[in-house]
Amino acid sequence: MMLNILTVLGVTILGTVLSCTISVLPALHAYNVLGALVLLFYWLIEKGMSIPSEVFLPFMAGIVVGWSMLNTIPSILLGAPDESAMFTVLPGQKYLMSGRGYEGTMMTGVGGLAGVFFLVCVVGPFAPRVLPVVQGVLRPHMHWILWVIITYILMSEWPKGGNRGPAGLAKFADAWRSLGAGLATFFLSGLLGFILLYRSPVSVDMAFQNIMPAFVGLFAVPWCLLNMISGANVPPQRIAHSLELNGDLILRSAAAGGLGGGFAAFFPVITGGIGGLLAGHATAQRDEKVFIMSQGVSKLVYYVGSFMLLFVPGLGLTRGGAAWMMKGLYVPRSYYDYFMVLGAIAISGAVAFLMMGPLTRATIRFIEKVHYRNASLVALVIILAIVYLMTGWGGILVMIVATGIGLIPVLFASRRLNCLGILLLPIACNMSGFGQQIAMWLRLI
Amino acid sequence: MKGISHFVSGVMAASFCPWAVRAAAEGNPLYFILGGAFGILPDTIDFKFYRFFYRHDFYVDPDPQNPDPQAIADELARAVDKARTAGRAVRIKLNTVRMGADYWRQYIVRFDAENQEVQVRIGPVVNTGQVPVPNSEPAERKIGRARLAAPIVQTYDATTRVDIFDGPTFALEADGQGRVVLHFLPWHRNWSHSFFVGAAWALLGWLLWSWQAAVVIMAGYAAHLLEDQLGFMGSNLFFPITKRRFIGLHVMRSGDAVPNFSAVWLSCLLIFWNLYRMTPDLLYHFNFLQLIFFGAVLPIGLFGLVHWLLTRGDKGREGPVELEDEFGDTMTS
Repeated sequence: MMLNILTVLGVTILGTVLSCTISVLPALHAYNVLGALVLLFYWLIEKGMSIPSEVFLPFMAGIVVGWSMLNTIPSILLGAPDESAMFTVLPGQKYLMSGRGYEGTMMTGVGGLAGVFFLVCVVGPFAPRVLPVVQGVLRPHMHWILWVIITYILMSEWPKGGNRGPAGLAKFADAWRSLGAGLATFFLSGLLGFILLYRSPVSVDMAFQNIMPAFVGLFAVPWCLLNMISGANVPPQRIAHSLELNGDLILRSAAAGGLGGGFAAFFPVITGGIGGLLAGHATAQRDEKVFIMSQGVSKLVYYVGSFMLLFVPGLGLTRGGAAWMMKGLYVPRSYYDYFMVLGAIAISGAVAFLMMGPLTRATIRFIEKVHYRNASLVALVIILAIVYLMTGWGGILVMIVATGIGLIPVLFASRRLNCLGILLLPIACNMSGFGQQIAMWLRLI
Repeated sequence: MKGISHFVSGVMAASFCPWAVRAAAEGNPLYFILGGAFGILPDTIDFKFYRFFYRHDFYVDPDPQNPDPQAIADELARAVDKARTAGRAVRIKLNTVRMGADYWRQYIVRFDAENQEVQVRIGPVVNTGQVPVPNSEPAERKIGRARLAAPIVQTYDATTRVDIFDGPTFALEADGQGRVVLHFLPWHRNWSHSFFVGAAWALLGWLLWSWQAAVVIMAGYAAHLLEDQLGFMGSNLFFPITKRRFIGLHVMRSGDAVPNFSAVWLSCLLIFWNLYRMTPDLLYHFNFLQLIFFGAVLPIGLFGLVHWLLTRGDKGREGPVELEDEFGDTMTS
C-alpha cells in the first residue's frame, strides 16, 4: 500500500514536471505528448511488459494538469500583440504590454489552483451521484444544445465600429465590418473543419494529431506573424511581490470559471474558451482580475475535468483527447481509480503552481534578452518544426490555410472564438444527422 | 438584462413547448434555436441595426488632448434649451473619447434636477475592460456646470458614465408644463421591444415553418420584453399603439450580476426539468422541489454564505449606468 502511494506520488510529480517543461514551448499541446506516450505504452505492452495503472494514470493526470496550468506562459508572454491589435486580446496580454506580464500569468495560475480545488473538493465528492442523472436526461439533447451555443456565439458579438459620425449606411457598414468578419471566420473555419473531417491531407496514421496544425494556424501563427511584422516592443517587466488578490476575488473567479470549464468539459465539442465566454457573460463579471483568474479556472477545469469524467463511477463519459487516448489503453472500473486520479490531480496542481513562478521568470528573462520580434520568430520556427515533424507537409498545408482564416479576426478586430467553427459546425451538423449530406454537397465524399 | 439572460430565457420558453422537446429528441434543433434567437433579437435589432440609423441634433465630441467639462455641460444645456422651444424631441449624442487602441478617457455626466443644472467631470483613462490606468486622473479635478433653461424630469438614472466603445444618447422633450423630459437611449427598447412586433415575427415564422414555430418565437420574444420590464428603463410594449416606453418596475439593473446569473441559472434548471419530464424510461427520478433544492438553493446558498464570510464589512458601491450593460460583455465581446 505504502509502495503504491509512493509510486503514485513519484509518477505524478514526474508527469507534472515533464508537462510543465514542455508547456513553455508554443504550439506543443499536451495531447501531442500524450499521443506519443500512449503509442509508447502500446509498444511496451506489445513487447510483453505490464504497466500497472498506478504508473500511467497519475502520470497522464500529471501531464494534463501541468499543461493546462502552465500553457498560460506562452499564451501571455509569447503572444503579445502590438497596440493596434490589442483591442481584441485578453486582458492578460494587456498586462504584458504594461509591464505586468508576471502578474497576469501568475493570476491565471492562481485561477488554475482554484480550479484544482473546485474539481477535487467541490465536484469530486458529488460527481458520482449527480452527473449520471444529468447525463441520463441530457444525452438525447446534446446536438441542439450545441446549435443553440453556436447561435449565441454568432448573435452576441458586439459591433466594434460605427461609433462616430452621422447616422446612415456608412456608419452601419463600419459597424458591420467586424461583425461580418466574425461571421466569415466562423463559416470559413467550419468549411475547413468539414474538409479535415472528411478529406484531411494529414495521414490517418496521425490520428491523434489531425486537428493540431489547424489549431496552430488559427490561433498561434497569426500572432507570431503580426508580432514580427509590427515589431511590437514589450516593455520591461516587473516581478510583483504580491498579486493583491483576496478570497472574494478568488471565489468569484472559481465560480465563474468552474461553471464555464465544467460546462465545456461535460458537453461534447465545447471548449474551455466557449465555456469561459458563456460563464463570463452569465455571471456578468466586470473585474479584470476576476476575468483573468476565471479564464485560468475555466481552462483547467475544462482540460482536467474532461479527463476526470472518464473515471467518475457510474458515468461512463468520454470527453476530450486525453480521455479518448486513455480509454484505448485502460478502462477505469472502480472508486480506487477515481480517488487515485483525484489525488494525482491535487498533487499535480500544487507542483505545477510551484513551478509556475520560476518558469514565468525564465520566460520573461528570455523575452527581455531577445528582441520581441526575434522571440516571435523563434516561436514560429518551433511551431513549424513541431507541425512538420508530427504531421508532415499535409499538416503544413492545413496550417497555412488555417493561418489565413486565423488572420481575419486579428486584422478586423472581431472575436477570435469564431475560429472554433472548425469544430462546432461540422460536429453539430453530424450530431443532427445532416453532416454527411453537406459533405456530399461539398463533394468531400 | 444582458444578452445571455434573454437568450437562455428564450430557450427556456421553447422548452415548455412539448413539440420542441419531441423534435429535438428526434434530431431537429429548430425550435430551440428559434427560442434563443428571438429571445435576444429585440436587443440585436437595436444594437446591431437601428442605432446606426438613428439621427441626432447635437454631438458632444470632447477634445482627447484637452477635454473641457464646461464645454460638455454647456452643450447639454444648449440642447435642453432647444428642446424647451423646439416642439419636438431634441437628440444629443455624447461621443466617447478614444485615447489609443485600448484606451479611453472617461467622463461622467450628472443631471441635477433639484438645482436645475448639469454637471460634468472628466475621469481617468480606462482600458476597454473599464479598468482605470494608474495616475491618469486629470491633475486638476475640474467640474463643468451649466444652468438648465427648464426643470428636468428624469426617466432613468441621474448619472451617466461615458467611456468605452459607443457613447449614450439622450432625447430631450418638452412635456407641455414647462419641463423637459430626459429619455436615456431613446433608440433602445422602443419599437423593437413591442409585443406587436413580436407577433409580426411570429406570423412570419408561421408562414415559413408552422404555427408551432410561431408560438416559440412569440414566447422567446415576450420573455425578453417581460424581463426588461423588471429594470428601470422599461419598453414601448405596444408600439405602434403607444409611442413611449412604459416605466420599468425598478426591481433590478440590466448589468447587475445577481439577477442576470439568477435568470440564466433558473432558466437552465427549468430547461432541465422540462427535458426530464418529457423523457421516457429514465433510470433516475426526482421531483421539482428536489431539483430546485439541489440545483439552486444548496449551491447558491453555499456560495452566498462563503461570499458573505469573505466580504463582511465591505460596503457595496453603486456605479453610474452605461450603455454596455444593456447588451454584451466588454471583456469577451
